[in-house]
Amino acid sequence: MNHLLIKKWWALTMVRRITIGVMSVLVVTLIYKVLYPLAFEFYVGKTNAPLTYSSSQELTPEAFELLAQELSRETRQQQAATIVATDQDPFARQVKIELLMNTPSVIKDSEPAHIRYFRDAGIRRYEGPKTCLQCHATIRIQHGDGTHATLDTLNDLVNSVHFKFQTEAGGFSTYGYDGRQVNSGAHKIPVGKINRACGIPGSFSWTGWAALIASRPEAQQDAIRLRSEGCGQCHIGGNYQPATEKMMPIGDVPNDAKEGIDCLICHATEYDMNQRYVIKDHQGLRWNQDRSLRSALTVGTIDSDTCLRCHQHNMGGDTYQHNVAAQSLGYINQRLLHHGAKRGNPFSPQDDVHAAAGMECTDCHVPEGHRIPRGRKGVDLVANDLPNKEVTCESCHTSAPHHQSRDKALLNGHVARLACETCHIKELTADNVVLRDWVHSTWNAKEGIFEPTDIYRSGAAGKGFTFLWFNGNGTFLANALGNHPDKTLNYNPLMQQVARITDPDIIATVRTKATELKQQYPEIDVDAYVTAATEPLSQLNPELLVQREVMIATNLSAAMNQGESRIYPFKLFNAMMYEDMSNQGAFGAMILPFDYARYYETGDSAAAVKVAIADPIIQRMYQEPFKRYMMDEFMAYFGIMDGWKTIYPLVNNQLVNVEAHWMRQMGTLMVNHGIQRQGHACIACHAPNGIMNFAQLGYSPERVAELEQIDDIVPSLNSAAQSDGQ
Amino acid sequence: MLFLILLLMAAPLLAEPPETVTTNAACLRCHGMKTLAYRHPQTGKIVDLFIEQFAISHSVHGKLACTECHDGDFAHYPHHAETQQRSLSCVECHEQQDDAAKRHYRFTTIDAEYAKSIHATSAETEAATFNCHSCHDPHRFHASQIGDSLATIIHNDNALCFTCHEQARIKHAWLPNRERHWETVRCLDCHTPVTNAEQAVSHHILSAADSNHDCVNCHSKNSQLLNRLYRYRAASDVASQGWLNTAIFNEAYVVGMSRSAVLDRLALAIIGLTLLILLAHGIGRYRAQQRLLRKQ
Repeated sequence: MNHLLIKKWWALTMVRRITIGVMSVLVVTLIYKVLYPLAFEFYVGKTNAPLTYSSSQELTPEAFELLAQELSRETRQQQAATIVATDQDPFARQVKIELLMNTPSVIKDSEPAHIRYFRDAGIRRYEGPKTCLQCHATIRIQHGDGTHATLDTLNDLVNSVHFKFQTEAGGFSTYGYDGRQVNSGAHKIPVGKINRACGIPGSFSWTGWAALIASRPEAQQDAIRLRSEGCGQCHIGGNYQPATEKMMPIGDVPNDAKEGIDCLICHATEYDMNQRYVIKDHQGLRWNQDRSLRSALTVGTIDSDTCLRCHQHNMGGDTYQHNVAAQSLGYINQRLLHHGAKRGNPFSPQDDVHAAAGMECTDCHVPEGHRIPRGRKGVDLVANDLPNKEVTCESCHTSAPHHQSRDKALLNGHVARLACETCHIKELTADNVVLRDWVHSTWNAKEGIFEPTDIYRSGAAGKGFTFLWFNGNGTFLANALGNHPDKTLNYNPLMQQVARITDPDIIATVRTKATELKQQYPEIDVDAYVTAATEPLSQLNPELLVQREVMIATNLSAAMNQGESRIYPFKLFNAMMYEDMSNQGAFGAMILPFDYARYYETGDSAAAVKVAIADPIIQRMYQEPFKRYMMDEFMAYFGIMDGWKTIYPLVNNQLVNVEAHWMRQMGTLMVNHGIQRQGHACIACHAPNGIMNFAQLGYSPERVAELEQIDDIVPSLNSAAQSDGQ
Repeated sequence: MLFLILLLMAAPLLAEPPETVTTNAACLRCHGMKTLAYRHPQTGKIVDLFIEQFAISHSVHGKLACTECHDGDFAHYPHHAETQQRSLSCVECHEQQDDAAKRHYRFTTIDAEYAKSIHATSAETEAATFNCHSCHDPHRFHASQIGDSLATIIHNDNALCFTCHEQARIKHAWLPNRERHWETVRCLDCHTPVTNAEQAVSHHILSAADSNHDCVNCHSKNSQLLNRLYRYRAASDVASQGWLNTAIFNEAYVVGMSRSAVLDRLALAIIGLTLLILLAHGIGRYRAQQRLLRKQ
């Protein structure tokens, strides 16, 4: 009896336990899949919704075939022309070519592959990733060591830097000013882009993702013309904001957002950049895409043209004359071009020897699936999907790259100490911007907008870019780290090269520009302005200055002395921006973002800051959870050891403890493109007052004298490099 | 081969004419560049012109001025083709030294041995440009030092041969315990003729066919090896460690060679003694059993 009761009780307990177990799993799933995303959206003040695109149109079978004919016409014609004999009457030949090019065999051979795939699968409308994934659900990739793997395509892409542009993983060559390698410790934070050249830095892509600007071009008598602007123009997510969810340790990007991924901007040969503009729907602002079937049918292998739709922006710049994407600014709400090049080293057949040789980006940046390597050396804090994969000149050119010149051996001798770019990027484009004042905007009459004022632009060696020792490491604010091979203590770029402009020409230009600005902004004290712009350390108080020197010596020397350094060219950049002075350290203070529309339309930079920091996500940044989650760590890398101060700098719509400053040092951006066949002549450096400041690079006075005067060994030096090249 | 090209090209670039005051530093301003090199138009291989300052100053030639070997007009850049092609004569220079005649192993002997060597007599195109520098880089060569471990000496020595003889591994497939041999014996120990006890290992490198294939030549009491590497070793070890340590930590243990008569006798005695004990024990038990049987 007793025995039976126990049995029954046991069975009931089991049923109950199983039910509880199943229920808890269900509840957790429900919370994770439904409640968490909603709570997260609410917390960061962002929304998601199904995304639609007007260019995604269904074609009738007839229209499809017409399009197929049109897209393949040129290749069919070319193929037929190679077959039809040339020794005949031109008219007869033309007739035969036309006959042949319309035969099924020629069509089969020359049609873009996806025409047939779509025809066979009955696809008559392109609907974004959904369409691609029908066939490409998985992707077979090859690793650098030759092994293969099969990955989930969408997952591969969604976790790539191209989609989320940050990472919580290690692999950064960036060192905090506190001396720690970024994300090398236990506390990893989502970081991946501090864009020194931009006023909407890093995670502030939240506040500047997509904007519509009411411009008033003077040529149109002040009529309003809407223009598109924002970080989203160069990112492949089509959502209302960046992939914010990817910054959290749990959760995923909502499916709606994944459906917004623009596969075609990278994969279509004929993507219509005129479809890239900001649209406004009931949810808000987002970037339109070319989702036409026409574009989808031209999907082929990636080439430089596809990469350069976005990447010429950061190399040649928006206003570079061979920037193809910048020729198609949009059917409506045309994109605004950014004046002043970020690097001024274009990759195009006109200005780069590798592009001229027909090389593709992926010849050097060899991808593994959707992960594309940047190379092991990186001075700026930019996430790298394949941090251990080399992208180097030497991997093709060997360590003895010069073959043609009489001086080939001597030139090769330089490889131990100089990067190839040091000689083979003789200049950057003239619109390369060095000093940019975001605080005092200037009216651009042609575009009808207020723009940041470029105080100094130059593409010249020693002016627009400088030479620094570099071992592949960089600081949190993009300063190249490295040291003279003798590990002398004389080399201290953070107190010298990047913290001080001594060139009298530059100082004079800055003064002229400041005087010009004063007409518009009478409060400017020209002398003080020039000092702050050219000696940014003058903005630090004595304690911070001492702290800075100590931190450089104690925290950064290990990262500087690592490995073998070589001299590289670095584009210099500094900007005057609004800073949250509650969070100031020896290397700078937290910069504040601008609202694009307010800035461009009114030129009132302070008002633009107020609008931008009112964004919910910036408010969250100034709260305890965000502080604990990442900002304390972020600040430590920034060189501020006592944590992030959550003193929100906007009270009653007034900026509190916010000041306009130049960053305390210039950023140094690597330049690796725009490679010229003919490098610098010897005399460019090996002469007194050459482009390279040997003393600042840490050479002893005797060695400087030797380096500056080498015509005792090489009397014919001046003409030595004339026959250079490879 | 590569070495040769390298040295022919590199060597003459090293000096300036006697009329200018020349220091090695002047040469090293260019030749001290680690990547001073070019790709040879015929072979496509990288010809290294770098002279490592530390290596040369620690080499047997460390005290020489570059111009002592490289005499010619090096004032001009690029150096004249004529000076670049001038070859160096090691033997001539070494024989001009004051103590040349007193040397235990004269350079004329080396020269004569080398002339018979397979490196000099081979008809292979690869051997056509062989010379002293093919093996002895004058800018880093130094004799093995007392204190270098035997393994290091052997490794460095053999590495030199392997730089050209890439097929050595395949060709020595017949050799039992090949890797062990290569760790403990120099290529030269088999590939040179046996010389008398006073003579150093010959420069007369033998062809594969003429080389020693007889295991017993080494693995015997009268081992050839004792005249070679291990001779130097024994002498140096005794000098630095004393004979007792040398006997105990003898690195030169070779099966069949390192025999000690005392040890042999001792071992025999132990074996004999063991057998005797066993026998005595057996007899004891037999007798004890017999006694038990009798009692019953």
